[in-house]
Amino acid sequence: MFPGAGLQQTTSHKVVLPFYYYATVSFLIACVLLLLNTGIAQEHYFQPQTLAITHLMALGWATMIILGASHQLLPVLIEGQLSSNGLGYASFLFSALGIPSLVFGFYSFELGTIFQVGAILVNLGMLAYLINVLVSIYESKRIEIHAWFMAAASLWLFSTTFLGLLLAFNFTKSILPADSLHYLPVHAHMGLVGWFLLLVMGVASRLVPLFLISKYTNDKLLWSIFILVNAGLIGFLVLRACAVNPSLYYTPFTLVLVAVGFFIRFCFAARKARIRKSVDPQMKLSLLSVIMLLLPLLALVIVLAFLSKSTDAKIILLYGFTIFFGWLTAIILAMTFKTLPFIVWNKVYQNRAVGKTPIPKDLFSERLFDTMAYCYLGGFILFVAGIIATNDLVLKSGAGLLLLAAILYAANVGNIIFHRPKKS
Amino acid sequence: MNVTTNNELLLTVALAALHQVIDPEIGLNIVDLGLLYDIHFDDEENKIDVNMTLTTQFCPMGESITQDVTRTMGSAFPTYSINVNLSFDPPWRPDRISPEGQEFLNR
Repeated sequence: MFPGAGLQQTTSHKVVLPFYYYATVSFLIACVLLLLNTGIAQEHYFQPQTLAITHLMALGWATMIILGASHQLLPVLIEGQLSSNGLGYASFLFSALGIPSLVFGFYSFELGTIFQVGAILVNLGMLAYLINVLVSIYESKRIEIHAWFMAAASLWLFSTTFLGLLLAFNFTKSILPADSLHYLPVHAHMGLVGWFLLLVMGVASRLVPLFLISKYTNDKLLWSIFILVNAGLIGFLVLRACAVNPSLYYTPFTLVLVAVGFFIRFCFAARKARIRKSVDPQMKLSLLSVIMLLLPLLALVIVLAFLSKSTDAKIILLYGFTIFFGWLTAIILAMTFKTLPFIVWNKVYQNRAVGKTPIPKDLFSERLFDTMAYCYLGGFILFVAGIIATNDLVLKSGAGLLLLAAILYAANVGNIIFHRPKKS
Repeated sequence: MNVTTNNELLLTVALAALHQVIDPEIGLNIVDLGLLYDIHFDDEENKIDVNMTLTTQFCPMGESITQDVTRTMGSAFPTYSINVNLSFDPPWRPDRISPEGQEFLNR
């Protein structure tokens, strides 16, 4: 009647934690660079500091923390074990070495050997991750919608970094038919839509109902989202390759917009059907980040509207900022405190009676989290206002608050990492 | 909570003890959370089989919870050996939460 399934091994904390440490430091550095370079908000986006900060945010911050979390969450999502801890370590090591070389290369605009080696190392890191994800999914008992999101997102991630590698070499030696700037929208959108959007949607559609203790499930809706996002992205790549009239870009954009609408509907339906009525601050910020997803889409509408004319660089900057410092940062700031405490709690308290230990959420300061969230939201709004108003004082104030949020975030992450059990 | 058993009297003692075992993420005890399926008492071999589930098969807290169940049942029934079996068929669903558990989560 009750066939024993046994307890499945979760991923070792040794694989996961280094990604969190690395991402925290990257976020701090990115905020420092943003504060030091607020002038970039008044220039074209294709310039050294903007490229450096964007890649530090995309790879060092968002991708590294997502890789760490997904090594931990993959078993929950695919209902199978992580295939290899070794590939997890390899993924970290290659990426951790490659990202600084790449970012330094952009910042100093020295796109030679060190920069190119950095791009190769990042690709090796992402390849290790891709193999690990695909083999883990292949070895799992059932392949459900969440596994498809993971598989597709990982494939898009590697496609993005591989194109990035080609672009890195194309800077110094012409190996592509056009210059690197020409391929930038393709490189950027494979990463933004294929990797970040698909991954966040796949993970959130599993975790939001789980954390809210919600009865809501809707695989049909999730399949629609999956197909729409992929169709939209592939459509964009095809249109771009065919160099068609820019007005046709509305079609893939609409597909992704509908998918985002469905995703918002999914998250709020899960919230409505929740059993746990009180929603903690981490889940509130996560749900807010879902809404914040609409900001870059709004910026994109404006970009598309002016595409045939000279697109205002300010709007493109807003588009990138609302993605990396908006939507992605908001969800990461929140979800760190829904995942990291459990990983550390398991490390510290696994062999102790649960009733006699603090619960995972006691490992960090809720007050510090709230202060961080307010600083972050204030900084984000001010920086957006600064871009729109082209006002350096407002930009500096926004960047200052974002840096403060990053410091508070790092302090709270430190609270968790350095948590030691009280001696009885 | 629908926990089946072959000994109602001992089940009452077991459930009272297992109310102390908390799911660290949700903050609710495993009895009201509906994680228990069946507790079978074998008086001849002095053995207790606890058949239970987790909110998800790869619950990161799984090992801690099952260890805590073994420890708690061992304290409540010191002359018995405790065997915890995990089952995910049927999988846990939020509607297994007891009315008391729902009230706790509504706070």
